[in-house]
Amino acid sequence: MSYSIPTSNNGIVLEVRALTRRFGGLVAVNNVSFSVNKYEIFGLIGPNGAGKTTLFNLITAFIPPSSGKLIYQGAEISQQRPHQIAALGIARTFQNIRLFGELSALENVIIARHLHTKSNMITGVLGLPPAPSEEFKTKQKALELLDLVGLSDRADEKAKNFAYGDQRRLEIARALALKPQILLLDEPAAGMNPNEKQQLSAFIRSLRNDFHLTIILIEHHVPLVMGLCDRIAVLDFGQLIALGKPSVVRNDPAVIEAYLGND
Amino acid sequence: MADFFATYGSLVVSMVLGALLGLSLYLPLMTGQLSLASPGFYALGGYIAAILSTQVFTTSSSLYPIPLLLLEMLIAGVICGLLGVVVGIPALRLRGIYLAIATIAFVEVLRVISLNLDITGGAVGIFGIPQPFQTQIEYLWIALPLLLISMVLLYRLERIRVGRAFIAIREDELAAGAMGIDPTYYKVLAFTLGAMLAGVVGAISAHFLNTWNARQGTFDASIIYLTFVLIGGSRTFLGPVVGGMVFTALPEILRSLADTGGLPNWLAQFLRDGRLIIFGLLIVIGTIFFPQGLITPDIFKRRKIKK
Repeated sequence: MSYSIPTSNNGIVLEVRALTRRFGGLVAVNNVSFSVNKYEIFGLIGPNGAGKTTLFNLITAFIPPSSGKLIYQGAEISQQRPHQIAALGIARTFQNIRLFGELSALENVIIARHLHTKSNMITGVLGLPPAPSEEFKTKQKALELLDLVGLSDRADEKAKNFAYGDQRRLEIARALALKPQILLLDEPAAGMNPNEKQQLSAFIRSLRNDFHLTIILIEHHVPLVMGLCDRIAVLDFGQLIALGKPSVVRNDPAVIEAYLGND
Repeated sequence: MADFFATYGSLVVSMVLGALLGLSLYLPLMTGQLSLASPGFYALGGYIAAILSTQVFTTSSSLYPIPLLLLEMLIAGVICGLLGVVVGIPALRLRGIYLAIATIAFVEVLRVISLNLDITGGAVGIFGIPQPFQTQIEYLWIALPLLLISMVLLYRLERIRVGRAFIAIREDELAAGAMGIDPTYYKVLAFTLGAMLAGVVGAISAHFLNTWNARQGTFDASIIYLTFVLIGGSRTFLGPVVGGMVFTALPEILRSLADTGGLPNWLAQFLRDGRLIIFGLLIVIGTIFFPQGLITPDIFKRRKIKK
């Protein structure tokens, strides 16, 4: 697949401005600033403990920033709560998979369609419109997404019974059910063998193209990131030490010293 | 048949009311919130009905008109709902055991208030509450439809958007938030629904028991309702229904066991009065061996697959 969406002229969809987060004396994210362009696949790499997941938690409002701003499509989102961020179109997966374990794969994806349906208790319980058609449509859409990640034949199995790699794919399907503008993937390739990583890389690119998403990706596997991402940001001890195209970042001496040098 | 109803009519109605009170605890539990506030709303609902029927809607007919009873239930439901929202919004910021403590405190506050007001009859309470029926078993005309409606509502709830939001919050509140579900809104909603149900049951019970006082809404009752749900089943609406019925009947069963001759005196005494100890033991055993209670959703799934 050789077509790709040009990414530098579509405007900035997310801006991180002087973002800082302290936990007591520890500065997990230290005055980080960058912007992500629309339809970009943006990589976020760095050694363990560099602050990457904390940055995701800041963007999705799991924790508030100590200082600095987050600007999404021109509007400041630093004071929102997680469900409001989701409503604005930012979806995520989690480093330590957070599926609804006791529920089936299908139910997991259906739940994420919450924002795109509006039946309340009364219409829902009594089966009044729009509830019945919404329920039907929700189930169809959820099955489509499960099909996309190759899990539709196991739609009714409990999420906790899936293999690790399948759980990661299910989490992605669930995040897609939000119909997001931005998809944050936290180590989606963890635990995968090289073949699976290849497939995942192609899959992420097709997601960006087919769903018109901006994707921000935390990953440890450097070749995956280098081959997939349009631009990469490198964090070390909470600070941004490099930002640019993969070919540039790969040769940046600070990055080599902090991270790639010991590979 | 008439004999059975005469002897056991009261018990059957109590079992149905017990099932309803189990459901009132099940609702907040659907969002993962351990709320022990039901006895407070139950007591409040009962007081509302007691005060209205003895002081406001006084009638001269020998039987209390049923439409007035239904009106009392409606008023009790609305007032408990409003109080549920007012109490729920601050209380549900607390998690886990701290929420349980806050709801226990709420029940105590209501109890002490009722002990000290004139309108609630102080420590004596209100007695002589008029009866809408000749016999106890006729209360089923009100209690049973209420139970059936509640069961249908909860059956539907588990399968629709709002119910799924509840369950998602129970499974993982943070992940549910990341999926666009506002946890506070749905937790307060579940809490308020439970409050309304407990209040309506209280209104019925005030008439059923003929007197109402501060002993109707105590921490002991919280533990009893909790047993209904924890042992009966905390993951499906049938659990609290079965748990409520079985554990309301249990003290009677224990008492008749105690009355069969041949038991040593201490054992008979224990079976008769040690109800709370037995319930406490059952909670401990139940949560170790049956973490989801006796009736679990898997039972239904297994039956579906067998077909």
